[in-house]
Amino acid sequence: MNPPRTASGMNAVPLRALAVLAGLMALFAIPKLTGNDYLLALGVSFAALSVLSGGLNLVYGYTGLLSFAQVGFFGIGSYTAALLVTERDWSLWAGVAAGGGLATVVGLVIGYSSLRLSRHAFAIVSLSFALLCMIVARDWVSLTRGAMGIPGLPTPTLSLPGGIRWRIAQPADFYYLLLGFVVFAHAVIYLVVTSRLGRAMRAIKLNEPLAQSHGINPLAYKLLAIALSALLAGMVGGLFVFYLTIVDPSIFDFYYTETMLIMVIIGGPGSFWGVLLSSAVLTALPDLLRFTTDLRMVLYGAVLIAAMLLCPGGLGGWLHRRRVARWRQPRPAPRS
Amino acid sequence: MDLNFHAQLLLNGIVIGVIYALIAMGLSLIFGVLEIVNFAHGEFYMLGAMFAYFLTANWGVGYWPTVLIVTGVAISLGYVLYEALLVSLRGENFERSILLTLGLSMVLQNGAVFLFTTTPKMTATGLSYSNIIVGELRLPLARLFALGLGLAAFAALYLVLYHTRVGKAMRGVAQNRDAALMVGIDPRAVSRLAVAIGIGLSGLAGAVLAPVYAVHPLMGFSFVFKAFAIIIIGGLGSISGAAIAALMLGVLESLVGGFLPLVMVDALAFISMIAVLLLRPQGLFGRGVRV
Repeated sequence: MNPPRTASGMNAVPLRALAVLAGLMALFAIPKLTGNDYLLALGVSFAALSVLSGGLNLVYGYTGLLSFAQVGFFGIGSYTAALLVTERDWSLWAGVAAGGGLATVVGLVIGYSSLRLSRHAFAIVSLSFALLCMIVARDWVSLTRGAMGIPGLPTPTLSLPGGIRWRIAQPADFYYLLLGFVVFAHAVIYLVVTSRLGRAMRAIKLNEPLAQSHGINPLAYKLLAIALSALLAGMVGGLFVFYLTIVDPSIFDFYYTETMLIMVIIGGPGSFWGVLLSSAVLTALPDLLRFTTDLRMVLYGAVLIAAMLLCPGGLGGWLHRRRVARWRQPRPAPRS
Repeated sequence: MDLNFHAQLLLNGIVIGVIYALIAMGLSLIFGVLEIVNFAHGEFYMLGAMFAYFLTANWGVGYWPTVLIVTGVAISLGYVLYEALLVSLRGENFERSILLTLGLSMVLQNGAVFLFTTTPKMTATGLSYSNIIVGELRLPLARLFALGLGLAAFAALYLVLYHTRVGKAMRGVAQNRDAALMVGIDPRAVSRLAVAIGIGLSGLAGAVLAPVYAVHPLMGFSFVFKAFAIIIIGGLGSISGAAIAALMLGVLESLVGGFLPLVMVDALAFISMIAVLLLRPQGLFGRGVRV
């Protein structure tokens, strides 16, 4: 983030904070204002997809590693949480934490083994990993119950601090739960990308040998980005399946990967707000327009091709170019 | 009986391995020359099989003309693909090339689902059910033809790469693009040819497999995932490495499939890939890491 320069720029930070606060209040107020379950369902899918695309943005947009593994972490978190809660009677918190933890470990293994070769190998391995997850979920019947999945996940009860037990039964409860997690996840991502860590990641993306010569260890930062995105994806997966009440191999569907890639590309890789905005718009828009899934994916594919040919920076990149162009405009010289 | 069973598994494995090799070699050739990982590669295999199905089932074209037509169309599609989409890409925007070809794959795959539905289609020609019986072994003719055509394509590719000037140019660009440019090789013409050959091989694979397996719009996707594993195992950009790794994987899968649960068959490619990456990151037949 570049420091604000102009007088109007000075107000930009509090203004932005106010805008974020207002947006959050509006989002949290939705269930109070309307009992429309469809709107809440859209909100829940936005929550899941925005955490996934936020994590992908961290790995691809900031660190420059194209990853297809997000959906694998998402599904691993879902299956782990679902199995632990149903078979072992763990609490939702513990199940979700275990799901996130397992996803993180798997992410580290994949990242470490493939990054020794190149970014190219990482992209390919992450793709194979995501596909392998689906195959294992489908064929390892004794653990995952195969294509039937695990239906009828119980209504979770959360023990909150202060002895309150919150039974999450209504769509509105899930909406609050997931929205809360979205705020948490994006806050973590925001803190990382605006800190020294985020700058190091961006340096690696821009020029790895140069970053290395400045004492940055690329592998450590790459693994950090992968691990964090895996953790968040696994956890949101664990929460999301209890809303669906079923987990089956379609949780690993490549559709999720394609959707989050589109969100990151349109929003602009490496642009925190751009990706968040595009996640919201792209969750709502195709649903409101009532496209069939097949046609939607054809359209997404065409958008992806067009974006790559015409504007690889997405919305965020376009805004950034405009800002730079404005700075470069000659200002009238002060009269002396 | 037991020996026959093994021989049958081996034959099936070799046939599927040759088909893997057709796809993986094209992928490897395109990666070597353009440094682009073509995610849409499997979709051309699918389109080849679809087209072959419609030619034989709907318009009654024979086996050999079908194979020729499909391969020819695939080669032309390769030219169009390069000129329309890939020409602006270079090795340094690797991610962009992946996303671009991924977009293409989404359009082709979901377009095919929309147009043809996901119902598997079986090409029932006379060929599908005829066998040659050697001893107690039944050799399905369609598989034998697939094997023969695959081997013929290997031979042709080998001749082009190692015994023609244009093949030499292609290998030159793969080794060092700038040096190739300096000695007067036009990288654009060479890249175009490499994409055309790669897509052509993919289409050919689809056409020869159409009488063996059911044809459906999602078939390319699972195939290309194995092809990626194969080119990593064989060494990125190494064409002969890809061919050998493909054959090995096909045979191994077939043998494993005869004795172990199905999940092992599909996981085999991935596990081998991870093992190769950990033990020998440049691939079994790679000559060191090239980025």
